[in-house]
Amino acid sequence: MRKRSRTVALAIVGAASFAVAGCRDEQVDAQAFPDLASCQAAAGEAGMFTPEQCEQAFAEAETLHVEAAPRYDSLAVCEEQHGEGNCGSEAEQVQNGGSGSIFMPLLAGYLIGSMLGRAGGGMAASQPMYRNGSGGFTNATRTSNFSANQGRASMSSQQFVRPATTAGKAPMSRATAASRGGFGRTGGSRGFGG
Amino acid sequence: MDKIILPERPDWRETAKELGFTFADMHGEPYWDESSAYRFDLRQIEDDIEDPSTQLHAMCREAVETIVGSEDLMGRMGIPDRHRDLVADSWRRNEPEIYGRFDLAYDGTGPAKLLEYNADTPTSLYESAAFQWRWLEDQIAAGALPADADQFNRIHEALVERFRALFDPGTDLHFTAIADNPEDYATVEAMGWAAREAGMGAHYSDLDKIGVSPDGQFVDAEDRVIGTLFKLYPWEDLLQDDYADRIAGSGCLFLEPAWKALLSNKGILPVLWQMFEGHPNLLPAFFADDVADALAANGRPLRHVAASFDRAADALRRAHVVKPIFSREGAGVRIVEAGDVIEASENPDYDSHPRIVQGFQPLPDFGGFHPVIGAWVVGHECVGMGVREDRARITQDLSRFKPHFIAD
Repeated sequence: MRKRSRTVALAIVGAASFAVAGCRDEQVDAQAFPDLASCQAAAGEAGMFTPEQCEQAFAEAETLHVEAAPRYDSLAVCEEQHGEGNCGSEAEQVQNGGSGSIFMPLLAGYLIGSMLGRAGGGMAASQPMYRNGSGGFTNATRTSNFSANQGRASMSSQQFVRPATTAGKAPMSRATAASRGGFGRTGGSRGFGG
Repeated sequence: MDKIILPERPDWRETAKELGFTFADMHGEPYWDESSAYRFDLRQIEDDIEDPSTQLHAMCREAVETIVGSEDLMGRMGIPDRHRDLVADSWRRNEPEIYGRFDLAYDGTGPAKLLEYNADTPTSLYESAAFQWRWLEDQIAAGALPADADQFNRIHEALVERFRALFDPGTDLHFTAIADNPEDYATVEAMGWAAREAGMGAHYSDLDKIGVSPDGQFVDAEDRVIGTLFKLYPWEDLLQDDYADRIAGSGCLFLEPAWKALLSNKGILPVLWQMFEGHPNLLPAFFADDVADALAANGRPLRHVAASFDRAADALRRAHVVKPIFSREGAGVRIVEAGDVIEASENPDYDSHPRIVQGFQPLPDFGGFHPVIGAWVVGHECVGMGVREDRARITQDLSRFKPHFIAD
C-alpha cells in the first residue's frame, strides 16, 4: 500500500499567471441576431445554427428576459439607461402578473453561443440583448457592452453565465462592487502561516 | 525514526527556482534543507501518526459540537459575541472542512503528543505535498534512496478527491491570500491546482481586492460574484475586519468554514483535555485563568477544574507551556520549568490574547535540532506529513523544512 501520491502539481506559477495557467475562461463562438427571422435566414445560408436551434435559443433568451431583465421603478430611469423609446412596463412585456409600475428595457436582440445544447450548470447558451442608450447594446446584467446586435465574435464563456433572477447572483456572474477592501486590515501584511 | 545524512540533489536550488518555490531560502537562512532527512518505518507512520491524527480530528469535531452549544465556552475561546451565530451556524449547516495540520511532538517511540491544531490557515502545504514528493522521486532515481522507499504524502491526491466529493464538476471556486506573501500564496496555489485537477474552476484574487456588491455578495478583483472562497486568512482576523458583518448574508461558502475558528485556537486544548482526559495523544491543558493562581503560588484552581488540575498538578509544576489562544509561529509562547521561564518567544503580537497552560512535552533532539511533526488532515483523515525542525525549543518562523521517507 503506497503512502504517497502518484502525481502532484509541482509548479507555482504566481498570482499573475494563476488564472492563465489553467483557467482562462473558455472562449466560445457567438453570434448576435436582432430577431428570430434573421437567425433563421442565416441558418439557410449554412450559418452557425440550424433553424431549430434558432427557435430554442430564442425561447431561452425570452425566458431570461422575463426573469432577469434589469428592472426600474420609473420609465424615466429606464430610459436614462437604455435610451428614449427603448423601455416598457413589466405588465406589457411579461405575461400574467407583470406590474404596471415596474419598467424594463425592450428586448433588442439575442446573443447565441456555440455551446448550444451543452449549456447548463448556471450557463445559458443564449442571452437577451438591450439597447444601452449610447448607440450600442448591453446584456441583462449590464456588465458587457456590444457595438451591434448582429455579427459573429469569439467571446468568453462568462458572457453566457445565466443572469440572476433575484438578488443572489450566480457565482462568476458580474456584479458591481459597492465597496472594496474590507478584508485584510486586521491581519496587516504578515504571513498567516502556522 | 532517525535522521540520515544524504547527498543533496546538486541542482535542487535551480529546480526550486524553476518551479517558483521562491522561499526555499528565507531571511538568508535555508528553509528547505535536504542535507539530511528523517527516516520512519511504516509502523511508526501508520500506528503513531496517521491513525492517531485521524482520531484526533474526530475528537476535535466532537469538541466543536460541545463548544457551539455553550455560550461560556464560545466566550472563553475568544469568539466575539456578535459572530457566535456565524460560527455555530457554519457547524450546524455541516459546512465542509478541506484541510488542517496537527503539530505533534514525537520521537519515534511512545504516543505522539498534540501540541496544537493549525486547522484554519496551515501553510507549508506546497513543501509537504509537492516539493518533498519531488525530492523523494529524484533521490530514488539517483540511487540515494532504495527503490522501494516511500513517503507519507498522499496530500495532493487526497485534496483532489476531497474537492471532487464536495463540488459538482465545473464549480467555480475563488482563492485568496494577502498580497505579496510568497509563502502564503504557495499554499493557496497548491490548493488551487488540486481544485483544478478535480475539474473545478480556480480563480485567485488578493484579499484586499475583494469587494461587496450592492446585494451583499462578495465579488473578486474582476467583479465576479464569489460563491465559494478559500481564504488563507484566519477567522480571528476575518471577524475583526470591516466586512465581518457582511459574511453571514453573503451567500458565500467559506473554506475553511467559520467553525474552524474553534479548532485553530489553543482554547481547543483544554476543551479536549476536559472531554478526553488521559487520552494518550493529549497533553494536560487548562485555561490559564482557571489555574494561574494554583501554578504561580500555592493558590487553588477554580472549582470546576480542581479535580482534573490536581491529577495533572505535579506534571504542570515541573514544566508547562503558556500559549496565547490565537498565535502563530510560536509567538507569545513561554516555557516555564519549576516556576522559572526558561524560554520565551520575543514576538509580542499576541500578548493581549487570553492564554492556555499546557503540559510541557520536550521535543526530541536530533543533532541539536528539534523536529515537530506536521500531520496533514484532508477531509476527516490524516493523509500525509511534513517535518519542520528548529534549533530553539519553540518552533518559529525560522524553522527548517526537512524531507522524510519511509523505509523499514
